[in-house]
Amino acid sequence: MRMSTPSFTRQNLLCAAALGLIFLCAPFPQVQIVLHAMLVLALAPRAGAPLSGTLWALAAGWVLEGSHLYPHMGGTAWADMTLTLLTGWMAGRWPLEGLKGWLGRLAALSVLHAFLVHGAVRLATVPYPWGGGWFWTLLSVPLWGWVAWRLLQSGPGSGRR
Amino acid sequence: MALRAARWRWSRTVWQRLFLLLLWLGQGTWVLLGPNPGRHWSQLADVFSRPSQGLASRWEGWRVARREARRNLAESRAETARLEAELAQWKTRAAQEAPRLSEADEAVRLLGLKQQIPLELKAARVIFSTRPATFGGLILDRGQDLGLVDDQGVLVPEGIVGRLWSVGGTQSKVLPADAPNASVAVMLMRSRATGVLQGLGSERALIRYLSNQEVVQVGEAVLTSGLDRVFPRGLLVGYVAEVAQGDLELRVVVNLAAPLDRVRLVLLLPPQPPLEVQPPFVAPEVKPPRKRGLP
Repeated sequence: MRMSTPSFTRQNLLCAAALGLIFLCAPFPQVQIVLHAMLVLALAPRAGAPLSGTLWALAAGWVLEGSHLYPHMGGTAWADMTLTLLTGWMAGRWPLEGLKGWLGRLAALSVLHAFLVHGAVRLATVPYPWGGGWFWTLLSVPLWGWVAWRLLQSGPGSGRR
Repeated sequence: MALRAARWRWSRTVWQRLFLLLLWLGQGTWVLLGPNPGRHWSQLADVFSRPSQGLASRWEGWRVARREARRNLAESRAETARLEAELAQWKTRAAQEAPRLSEADEAVRLLGLKQQIPLELKAARVIFSTRPATFGGLILDRGQDLGLVDDQGVLVPEGIVGRLWSVGGTQSKVLPADAPNASVAVMLMRSRATGVLQGLGSERALIRYLSNQEVVQVGEAVLTSGLDRVFPRGLLVGYVAEVAQGDLELRVVVNLAAPLDRVRLVLLLPPQPPLEVQPPFVAPEVKPPRKRGLP
């Protein structure tokens, strides 16, 4: 069973809601990072339509960094753009068949996302500690992966890919 | 090929992908610029502005150098003007002082001559010269007020000048030795042959009454013989300029030693001086005996 593609409106609304949550969760960085990974890796990517997802990822990166005021922002946004493009391409190239594959792919992309964000921010600013955000993100992949799966797949899809 | 070109039209998808690519590249470039991205622009601006800065620096240096040179030139001109004014002042002062200095030099020399001749000599200043005229002479500023009388000998450090021809109350006239009507008893320095000097004018004179047998050389000194009782023996008269054999006597032309046309201060011998005067005795310096063994 190939998973159906959600409608543009649903996906964009979900992305907007996630972006608002990221902004509102600024006092709780761990939650913010998990929401950020969910938006970039699960909600924004869309096979065959990379533009909207990339813009959502870009906004997510800037919102995350803007809430913490790095010395030179932009590294997270670039990493988010790259991962969203990669994820959308993967979704078109290797369509998912079920929840398990979806969660496994999210776990792998979470690790890659953590590395890429860290490297980009290090390039853009100065070396900084890793922190525990990547760990909580990886640990909560089943949770936010399942939530994203349910949100994207519930209701009638548009059928567009 | 034509099919591929047709597929690569500028469709909406291509525009989107191009926008995405530019967005991704721009964001990446922004990330790669690192912290303080303005420093790259500053460095780039520095690199591009280096030639203009060097040019401006050279231009400013040239202006400063030109200003300095102009100031130096103005200062040099002012200094030159000041020095020229000072030089003019010094020249004027030197011109004003020149006669006095010359007279002072002459007075010093006269003083030296006075110390060499152990006679009571008197000094007088030449105030006017009528020598260019026929039978002209020199007018002195002293006369009977100084006790002068006729036929007193007149001399300068270079040699004799002549004798007093006429003496007034405050002035007197000198008959120079080169006047046609002047005569001085002279003798040749080597042969000691005596004769009488008669003037020819123009500071030249002729020695009369010298025998053809005498040997006279050109350049030989001619001294006073003292026989005329105007000059004592041994005063310099002049030097032999020409020697020629005559019918009865030698024709000896003498260039007078005294510059008669440039005389300003003269010494006057006392009337009827002795035939011969001895120079004042000056004790020679006695060197201390050198001790043996000392350098």
